[in-house]
Amino acid sequence: MSVDLNTKHGHITISNEVISSIAGGAAVECYGIVGMASKNQLRDGLAEMLRKENFSKGVLVRQDDENLHIDMYIIVSYGTKISEVAHNVQSQVKYTLNKTVGLSVSSVNIYIQGVRVTSE
Amino acid sequence: MTLQRLDGKTFAEMILQGASHLKQNSQMIDALNVFPVPDGDTGTNMNLSMNSGAEEVKNVQENHAGVVAQALAKGLLMGARGNSGVILSQIFRGFSKAIEDKETLTTMDFAEAMQGGVTTAYKAVMKPVEGTILTVAKEAGEASKDLASNESDFIPFMERVVNAAKESLKRTPELLPVLKEVGVVDSGGQGLLTIYEGLLANLKGEDMPAYDETVTMDDMVNAEHHKLAQDFMATEDITFGYCTEFMVKFEEDKLKRNPYDEERFRNQLSEIGDSLLVVSDEDLVKVHIHVEQPGDALNLGQQFGSFIHIKIENMREQHTSIVGDRKPANEPPAEKAEYGIVTVAMGDGVKKLFESLGATVVIEGGQTMNPSTQDLSQAIVKAHAKRVILLPNNKNIVMAAEQAADMSEDEVIVIPTKTIPQGMSALLGFNPEAELETNKQEMSGLMSVVKTGQITYAVRDTQIEGLTIEKGHFMGIAEGKISSTDKDKLTAAKSLLKQMVDEEEDEILTVIYGEDVKASEVEELETFLEDQFEDLEIEVHQGGQPIYSYIFAVE
Repeated sequence: MSVDLNTKHGHITISNEVISSIAGGAAVECYGIVGMASKNQLRDGLAEMLRKENFSKGVLVRQDDENLHIDMYIIVSYGTKISEVAHNVQSQVKYTLNKTVGLSVSSVNIYIQGVRVTSE
Repeated sequence: MTLQRLDGKTFAEMILQGASHLKQNSQMIDALNVFPVPDGDTGTNMNLSMNSGAEEVKNVQENHAGVVAQALAKGLLMGARGNSGVILSQIFRGFSKAIEDKETLTTMDFAEAMQGGVTTAYKAVMKPVEGTILTVAKEAGEASKDLASNESDFIPFMERVVNAAKESLKRTPELLPVLKEVGVVDSGGQGLLTIYEGLLANLKGEDMPAYDETVTMDDMVNAEHHKLAQDFMATEDITFGYCTEFMVKFEEDKLKRNPYDEERFRNQLSEIGDSLLVVSDEDLVKVHIHVEQPGDALNLGQQFGSFIHIKIENMREQHTSIVGDRKPANEPPAEKAEYGIVTVAMGDGVKKLFESLGATVVIEGGQTMNPSTQDLSQAIVKAHAKRVILLPNNKNIVMAAEQAADMSEDEVIVIPTKTIPQGMSALLGFNPEAELETNKQEMSGLMSVVKTGQITYAVRDTQIEGLTIEKGHFMGIAEGKISSTDKDKLTAAKSLLKQMVDEEEDEILTVIYGEDVKASEVEELETFLEDQFEDLEIEVHQGGQPIYSYIFAVE
């Protein structure tokens, strides 16, 4: 699975891992996100916070025909407005993918897998 | 009079003034917004968030500072909008937690609450980006701790907190490269400072007017980026040589013809320069831009009203004097340039367009007065470059251009452009860093992405491709083929464009109108185009060319 771009000089293939890494990288810079959760957590049964190098585990890239969909499994910080954090992630991921690889994403779907309550 | 203890009522009033001060300046803050997504909504979002917080504060009956802070935090959380709004809500959530059971506050309490806000705000992000509202909150919070231990009177305490926030905001471009690139301070940080300023103004019993636009402009375009650039570049490396600032006062009748749309205006400007800032309110728009053709920027601005302030500085001159270059500015360089571009155009406007796109020498010529091989050879010499690219822009000149290229001692190639739009399109593909062959391929390729339409008049009665054309009538020519004819110029133009523009594929239509076209006609055509092709971006230039009433480039 990959995304192909054709240019005058030939074509460029961007693997889904790259897209999910970029999306994950953009997401973890977003305010209000404290972690990515494994997308397999339903099978694993617990929202295990992913370590840094595994951002892309919480990002699923799907393609149908011409469209690119991204599903993200995230953990947010307690006490933030979750709907707004999710919305910020959507716009930041969309913008970053467009800016860095020129991809326009049809949808960024956010799945909140957990809320982290920090000791205050 | 000193104020040692802050009660709930006073604190509530401070918050309300902080919110209203933010509201007054939200547009200015929008204009600063370049990070994380440059969509120009930071001020709007912060204002909506803060407003929701202020509404909650208004409903508090108790004279209890902790309760007021809690109400603010709750309102902010519910109304948080955008990144900046979410961060703001976290800052005040931490703030209110630290003082929830305090009826009145000392400066020490206030400082602790500020620290608490910072801690909470930083907890909610994995990778805090410095150079943002977070940094300003953090540095103001750190300063408040030291200040409170020496100062129990709220007014001088808050004054210094505000100053610390100001200093911190000034440093944001050093921490976040994108800010320095654009030459602005962080918009979220500016929003937070604006709230703090409102808190202080209320303590002092002052009314704070919105920022004076002239001050903001100078504040925003911190002179740093002019200075810094000088350390790294040679005078000849300055691409956009004029630092141009102007203010336009909107005028009703002009706005009727040209409705002002900030985003569109900003986009138009961004194509001709950099370091761009556009700030506007109901009455005026203020622009700062570095541009090579200041006139172009001024013309764009003048569409909406009249100038009330203009300042244009030649940065190359300034730079030369700063760097202490001993070369007199107007002495021609003895060295040949790496690249020169020679092109053929008719009409002053078209000539200027080509120059603005980077042509070195533009020869007058065109349909009826073709430049000779010798004219072209002279132009190649005049270009004074090791490698010269020729754009003939007319099929009757291509041959002469090829000959001139053969005769020249320099490396000369011809990109066989047959129309003005093809020439412009090809020129956009020119890369001064690339090899000649690469440029040839790139520019030739771009030549074909644009469709050319022309409107001209018939010099005699004729029959072509099934069309009967009478002398003096106007003909629409699409890609060299006559496709419409009418005795009225505008009708011919409309039907030509209807045939040419493919709404699915085409995005931009450039209209270059000739010397025989009146401004009113252009406006009528524009109105028609905007109705007919809703999604098409339309650019209009005065070409001043003879023979062709209109030249259209569709891409």
